[in-house]
Amino acid sequence: MNRLRPVVYHLCRLTLGGLFVYAGAVKADDVTAFAGSIAAYEILPYFGNYLVAATLPYIEILAGLLLLANRRVRPAALLLAGLTLVFMAVLLSVIARGLEIDCGCFGADGRTTPAMALLRDAGILVLAHFTFHLRAPRP
Amino acid sequence: MIPDLRRHLLEALVIVALGAVIGLSVNYRLIGALLEGRLAPPAPMPTSDGYPTPITLGQLREALAAGEVVAVDARDADSYAEGHLPGALSLPLEEAEARLEAFSLRVDPATALAVYCNGYGCPDSFDLAMKLIAAGYGSVAVFEGGLPEWRDAGLVVVEGAP
Repeated sequence: MNRLRPVVYHLCRLTLGGLFVYAGAVKADDVTAFAGSIAAYEILPYFGNYLVAATLPYIEILAGLLLLANRRVRPAALLLAGLTLVFMAVLLSVIARGLEIDCGCFGADGRTTPAMALLRDAGILVLAHFTFHLRAPRP
Repeated sequence: MIPDLRRHLLEALVIVALGAVIGLSVNYRLIGALLEGRLAPPAPMPTSDGYPTPITLGQLREALAAGEVVAVDARDADSYAEGHLPGALSLPLEEAEARLEAFSLRVDPATALAVYCNGYGCPDSFDLAMKLIAAGYGSVAVFEGGLPEWRDAGLVVVEGAP
């Protein structure tokens, strides 16, 4: 198990980091479209939709890059887990309100229902958990 | 208890702050337009994806003045009679199912529409916009500020039944 630990750690770290760098880059590429996706959730006012659309992708990219670079791994994993929990709460509210919208998680062209996105987020939480806890203590 | 959790949380906050600063810097033009209440012309993209586009007060005003867009009032007939945007058509959300067919005979599906209701927190305009898109309207925007933002900006509000 001890020999497997670093393998699992790096696998989780790289997958999680790559996933968020990709998700962030796709959305950063078309902020207006992402603002439209956020608006479809009917949670934030017009101004908030654009503000989140302008900043969230870069937060995702930054945290993802830190994971890929194996730097500040625990803060980055913690942050991404926190974000994912927020996403899950938002998706639950979408399901509760019966909105039929695209998740917009990886840009506007992906066709992912809220329920599918919720499942995927649960998987991301598992990745973040292992990344956080398997990170070797500082030397 | 996880050791150093506090420090990790603080560092996570720094990442958020850094990311936000980068995002705002990269999108400074968009944010500038946002602060001035004008944004790039409503992109048809979300509509082609099956969602309405947001439209600002400034954009709506210009588009209405230029005759590029027709305002659609999603509130009930009484609210419409008390005051609506100039030239707005009344299509209350709760009667939409029954009246959509007649509406589409009257208004060409190629017409650009801007739906509004009672402002932020009122979901009717979005719901009606989704119905209009489903009914074949290709360019549907939602004016989220609705009648309150229009009225508070000191713009003309018209009284009268539909």
